[in-house]
Amino acid sequence: MRSSDYRTWILLWIILIVVHRVDAQEISGDNPSILKHLSMEELMNVEVTSVSKRPEKLLEVASAIQVITQEDIYRSGATCLPEALRLAPNLQVAQLSSQHWIIGARGFNAAFANKLLVMIDGRTVYSPLFAGVFWDAQQVLLEDVERIEVISGPGGTLWGANAVNGVINIITKTAEESQGFYASIAAGSMMRTYGAIRYGGKINSKLHYRIFTRFVDRDNTLTTTGEDNPDNWGVAQTGFSVGWNPSQVSTFSFQGNVYSGIEKTLPDDSHIDGQNILAKWNYTFSEKSEMSLQFYFDRTWRKDIPSTISDELKTYDMEFQHRTALGRNHRLLWGLGYRLMDDKTINATPIIGLVPRDRVMDLFSVFLQDEIRLLDQLRLTLGSKVQHNEFSGLEVQPSVRLVSTLKKNTLWAAVSRAIRAPSRIDVDYYLPTYELPDDVPHVAGGPNFDSEKVISYELGYRVQPTKNLSFSIATFYSCYDDLYSVEARPGTQVYEIQNGVKGTSRGFEFFATAQMLEGWRLRGGYTYFYKELEPKPGRIADPASLGNDPEHQVIIQSMANLSKSFQLDATLRYVDKRPVPYISDYITADARIAWITKHWEVAVVGQNLFKDKHIEYLATIPRSAYLKITCRF
Amino acid sequence: MPILRPATFIRKLRRCAQWLFVIVLLSLTMATTSVDQSPEYQVKAVFLFNFVQFVEWPTTAFPDKESPLVISVLGKDPFGNYLDETVKGEKTNGHPVIVTRFQKPEDVKPCHILFINISKEDQLTQTLELLKGKHILTVSDTRTFNRRGGMIQFVTSENKVRFQVNLEATKNANLVISSKLLRLAEVVTN
Repeated sequence: MRSSDYRTWILLWIILIVVHRVDAQEISGDNPSILKHLSMEELMNVEVTSVSKRPEKLLEVASAIQVITQEDIYRSGATCLPEALRLAPNLQVAQLSSQHWIIGARGFNAAFANKLLVMIDGRTVYSPLFAGVFWDAQQVLLEDVERIEVISGPGGTLWGANAVNGVINIITKTAEESQGFYASIAAGSMMRTYGAIRYGGKINSKLHYRIFTRFVDRDNTLTTTGEDNPDNWGVAQTGFSVGWNPSQVSTFSFQGNVYSGIEKTLPDDSHIDGQNILAKWNYTFSEKSEMSLQFYFDRTWRKDIPSTISDELKTYDMEFQHRTALGRNHRLLWGLGYRLMDDKTINATPIIGLVPRDRVMDLFSVFLQDEIRLLDQLRLTLGSKVQHNEFSGLEVQPSVRLVSTLKKNTLWAAVSRAIRAPSRIDVDYYLPTYELPDDVPHVAGGPNFDSEKVISYELGYRVQPTKNLSFSIATFYSCYDDLYSVEARPGTQVYEIQNGVKGTSRGFEFFATAQMLEGWRLRGGYTYFYKELEPKPGRIADPASLGNDPEHQVIIQSMANLSKSFQLDATLRYVDKRPVPYISDYITADARIAWITKHWEVAVVGQNLFKDKHIEYLATIPRSAYLKITCRF
Repeated sequence: MPILRPATFIRKLRRCAQWLFVIVLLSLTMATTSVDQSPEYQVKAVFLFNFVQFVEWPTTAFPDKESPLVISVLGKDPFGNYLDETVKGEKTNGHPVIVTRFQKPEDVKPCHILFINISKEDQLTQTLELLKGKHILTVSDTRTFNRRGGMIQFVTSENKVRFQVNLEATKNANLVISSKLLRLAEVVTN
């Protein structure tokens, strides 16, 4: 961006802040006076909100959060989590192949997209093996996803390490909210076959359950010359969820999943399977104080032929949180956590692998956050998370946030520090796995690899001028240090993974949702991102491979109810070109037509419609369509 | 398919983004003037203040022309600052409006409107007994208030505040309620 553009942006922000504060002066003195001027009849029409103990309304959150609702997912025709995540304008989603996706926020999307923390119902699905998410193993039943919260920006204070650029929280419906019988089958060109069944029932008014099973078989993508890529695959997952509310103050939830899949790869097929179980207890002491205690066990196994590394990871996690009000002006949130990760790998060849093969990793965390009410509409939140991890020891992730909330609009500012903890692929990565003399080029792990760090300065504004319209904008400036690099030890040919790169990034995220007419809703956004990376002084490192990011991205989703039984939906997206390696920009769209009756639904969905093939990052994605029949009783 | 060339698209996008910013600023003005959502107790505080215009107290309730009109809260105060903000600087017929608070029913000093926030049922009955014969307009949110002889009961229905009036109780306290208020209320008989 040119410096004249910067000046315009800064000027616009200054105007925004000044108008917001002037607005505040007028409102804070006048709120009761506006009400006092209403007639009795008008006063009886004012909608009231009571002070609830549930988490803050979206309008008041001091971060760049965007939410994808169940309706947004269902109307978009998304067939898997990554496709659903495209609906968040602040996420960069790129399909690498039929089996793999890279998803990130605020740049640094690369083959190892490692700066985004992802959780499903409180269970972390970010792998400490390669510091990223294996999206093929996350087969959630989309019908039962209540919402997905996407927070862009450092989330280290509340969520822990690896939330350097953002946090994704995938929240499924409670057993009570997913009752009844649901079944769906689909057939298409890319999603060859798909089937899912879910049944939710109750034992009594306090005990609810649901069980589901889902399978999908996906076709391959193409090479640039139009040949088939060997990457078709299929996976099945089955799971349950139980919710028990024995009293007004106590709730329990218990859920588990089992999945297994086969992926075509060369020279042999790869396999994945996993099992996980999670239990959570929420107890409310009073209107001001509540706690939660959660345990989960997660085992994932992957026999990955192309990388020649197979991995079995068992995670045992325990977490406690307590939220309480102290006096009239303080709201405290604090917690403790412990996670044990037992990782075993098998290196199929000595050419490349992890050394030592097995590792047990511990993670301790403690965090504290105080939300202080400075004035009626002004809140200051101070917090920090302190963690001790296996590789880099003690890490501190503090943050300071200021929120000014008026009736319909919110202005917030934040400064935070977050880290990405070293993972096995940084520290234990050897090429080859046997010892070699110093003058022969080889990669010998990252014994001194430290965590990557970011300090981010953010400013955001959110407004809901009418019931049917809302906007939010966020801008950020982030300074990164100790980023990943592969450099030779001086005087030798021994390459180690080190922290030789630093840089800055800046950007702008805009999101809007509008109920245009009674049956027509639009939502979408625009994201601008720019980064500059360079080797640290005195180091020789090439930062180009750390992220191949587009500068601009736009998404617009339209959902229209043409009549009570006919829905027409479309999503349009544009992603700018990526610099190195060069990938051209693209614009494409998905569309969905559906006929609905009380219990049945027939939908035809077309995906990637604009061109018959396009490249997002690696493989060529073809245009595709599918037919889906669903029933709900 | 005619697709915009990426370079032009970006320039237009940038202009668009700057205009969007301006629209967001303008939408601020829309945000400030409409009031369709407010905290529950802020609305109830304004109701208490408004009741003053629709109620006639006997002349003995005001010792002289400038004595204050007292709105009191008995029990845990749910209004925070709202009630004080609402009555600040206000006068009705020359009487300045003030707010006082009491913890126990025995402590209640002469006032004109008393908002009672006592959850224990037996304490509530005892309180209303103590207030019999005094010329105080009693108001509360408690579900059984009117049944126990309380005069005005707030009811929240579909997120909006409504109120019920026990006419017999107001008559027993020698208070005259304007028909304009009764028209808006749901009149409850014992």
